[in-house]
Amino acid sequence: MTMAAPKGGCFGKVLEIDLSKQTYRAREVPDEIYQKAIGGNGLAAYFLTTEYKAHKDPLAEDAFIFIGPGPLNGTFCVSTRTSFAHMSPYTGLISHAETGAHFGNEIKWAGWDGIYIKGRSKKPVWLSIVDDKVEFKDATKIWGKDTEATHEAITKEMNDPYARTAVIGPAGENQVPFSCVIVERFRAAARSGTGMLMGNKKLKGMAVRGSKAVPVVDNAKFMDMANYAKKVAVDREAWQGIKRWGTAGLLELKHYKDGSLITKNYQTTWYPDIIKIGGEEANRKFWKRHVACNHCPIHCLKLGVIREGKYRGLIAEGPEYESGGLLGSNLGMTDFNSMIALIEYCDAMGIDNISTGGVLGFTTELVERGMLKPADLDGLKPKWGDGDTYMELIRKMVYKEGKAGKLLSKGVKKMAAEIGKGSELYAIQVKGKELAAHDPRGDKARAYSYALGSCGGDHHEGASTRGLVIFAMINSLSTCSFASALIWGGENAKITVGMLNPLCGWNMTEDDYWNTGKRILTMERIFNVREGISRKDDGLPKRLMTEKLPAGPKKGAVFTEEDTKKMQDEFYSFLGWDAKGIPTEATLKALGLDYAIDDIATARRVYKL
Amino acid sequence: MEGKEKKVPDLFQKETSRRGFLRGTAVAAGSAVTMVTIGGLASRAAHAQAAPAAPKKDLMKYLFAERENCTGCRACEYACSVFHTGVVRPSVSRIHVMKYKDAIDVPVICWHCDDAPCVAACPTTPKSILPDPNHNGMILNEKTCLGRKCLKCMEACPAQYVNVNPDTGQPLMCDMCAGEPACVKACSEQSGNPQGPCLMANKLGFGVNLAFRDVTPNKAGADLLDLTFYPNVDGKRPTPAKTKKARR
Repeated sequence: MTMAAPKGGCFGKVLEIDLSKQTYRAREVPDEIYQKAIGGNGLAAYFLTTEYKAHKDPLAEDAFIFIGPGPLNGTFCVSTRTSFAHMSPYTGLISHAETGAHFGNEIKWAGWDGIYIKGRSKKPVWLSIVDDKVEFKDATKIWGKDTEATHEAITKEMNDPYARTAVIGPAGENQVPFSCVIVERFRAAARSGTGMLMGNKKLKGMAVRGSKAVPVVDNAKFMDMANYAKKVAVDREAWQGIKRWGTAGLLELKHYKDGSLITKNYQTTWYPDIIKIGGEEANRKFWKRHVACNHCPIHCLKLGVIREGKYRGLIAEGPEYESGGLLGSNLGMTDFNSMIALIEYCDAMGIDNISTGGVLGFTTELVERGMLKPADLDGLKPKWGDGDTYMELIRKMVYKEGKAGKLLSKGVKKMAAEIGKGSELYAIQVKGKELAAHDPRGDKARAYSYALGSCGGDHHEGASTRGLVIFAMINSLSTCSFASALIWGGENAKITVGMLNPLCGWNMTEDDYWNTGKRILTMERIFNVREGISRKDDGLPKRLMTEKLPAGPKKGAVFTEEDTKKMQDEFYSFLGWDAKGIPTEATLKALGLDYAIDDIATARRVYKL
Repeated sequence: MEGKEKKVPDLFQKETSRRGFLRGTAVAAGSAVTMVTIGGLASRAAHAQAAPAAPKKDLMKYLFAERENCTGCRACEYACSVFHTGVVRPSVSRIHVMKYKDAIDVPVICWHCDDAPCVAACPTTPKSILPDPNHNGMILNEKTCLGRKCLKCMEACPAQYVNVNPDTGQPLMCDMCAGEPACVKACSEQSGNPQGPCLMANKLGFGVNLAFRDVTPNKAGADLLDLTFYPNVDGKRPTPAKTKKARR
């Protein structure tokens, strides 16, 4: 079979970088693969399931990070992003982290469909990627610096204000398993431990600059649909609030209306103090400007400056719903400026806001319950709302300093295993990853993402069965779940296919859209099944199944066994997986994933599924 | 700052009301003074004589950027490159949005200066860049332009606006999309909630362009950073040292 090069949307080549040998090459990827896996997370899932054997060491020298934009990146499509995907050193499962800004598009404009980084450098390096040219730059001097200083140093050395950067901070260097990549100073590709993997490879960061255009097969047709898609994104009324308030507006909404604002390590969702740290307060005393990603009319990122107190003058981003939830209400914060300082400190250190917030909330509750003593935490005694102690604990986590740093940087699952004494009940995680800021007792749809998503307790994987499939497509197209997907509502599949076909010269139908999403989810599942994941792992933490919400609009709500069963059954049957959550042979064949039949059979035998 | 002042009469449109007449006169007098006092326009005037006398459409002649309103979405770059090449390609976009310390977005535009230092600096005869008399767009003569060997226009531009076309090595000049700038349209289409558009076009310059254009992108970024983040009530800016310390 001859494998054709892509006609449009993709260049047909991925930049493969070997940090051990300090070499690079163009790796050809045929059109058929893009049709099957799209790009971004989907393409990474294809590489991961075809190149890795089960139980790969996620930090092996030849372990790779795939940084994937998708076919729509760099085109007229409204708002596009980037996916950082790899086997997670945190969860041991397949994992992907999406981020906005301009980085992904710049990769496309440099003429690449993605960057595949393997190997391990002896000395710290950063990568300069300008079109076809890759340079391995010495990063000895910037090793140890925070993400902002690193970003500035790299931008300065690039001598090009239009170069786009992705860097790690001290957390990644120090191998904190939930460290992240910070893209263009304020945006994070977090949750998967990408920072740790980059740190392990001694890769401090990269800067990309491109001068090319993405080829389009039928430009007139493509522009028609892309213009329409943009117009919907501009006009749709339901999204005007996000433009005005970013996701910070949800902090108040989820407290007053949805009853799903996490509070004090999932003890409740009723947090009247939210008025002191929510979107309204941010608007009153912090925000200064709205910032957009590529070609996006929603500009959900808000930048502000702290105007009083000891952090006066600090420019920071946020709060977003997740960062304001995890490092705000989750920690019982009542001082807005302290909360913003925590958020900004996490960004500066390159550590995931969500997992960090989860760990701090868990730790505080254990201290409250006497399961942890200040002696276990280098004499620190965290209590709700105590920003200074939290700041110090984050610093210790980042540098793995002292008893506290070593313990907390493991994440709640391993912490609970180490502490014992029934602390597992308070460890709010799925598949080893802390949950985000939506309490599924109040907002049951969120359980789909947490329980069934491939990466563990992640909020960015869809809030229904079909939502999971849509998000698999979003994360593979590397589009934005707001501006280039959900905002299109019922027209999502139609618009996406309507852009992809004239762009790439494909003949995708709306059915193909759904099948492609299913294929990508199934590829991710294949990887996880090989690592022993099955139905037993696709549930929520015990606390959310047993403790009723004590107050708020959803008082008394709990996530039940029936809820879980219904959700799992519905999802597995839609995807063509069996009752144990394993893709059937028929499904694998139907989706063109025959290559995995043996792997699945082996997993069934090994794990007795 | 100039808005889209539709009511300001175009000199060509011969508005007859007294108010309009007076305004028109004032502008005419203004441009006459400009022509006399500012050099480098001889060729431009000659160019103007050869052109048709009255354009039919309301053609815009000046670009403006309300820098504070820029969100950095680059819809202008997208629209510009689509207008000129059919596809999105920021490297050949005439307009650019520069990140300053990643906290500020600076729209870098051609202000269509009345004294056009780029034209004055162009060494070829005839000039390789000339403003179109109808819409003030800078028209590049690709045949005579010396490209990378020269780029005197790039050096001369006080706004450091000019970029180089990576394919040809020639400067990327803002041609005002023949009087209907695509960037302005794209910007206004998606602005509005909660702030107004950044880019605007107008038929009249009123010298505003000259006031703005001497600000380089980096200077504009530094100014905007101060303006946006540090206008404290007491007028004092917190010391950077304090900020740094707080982060640790």
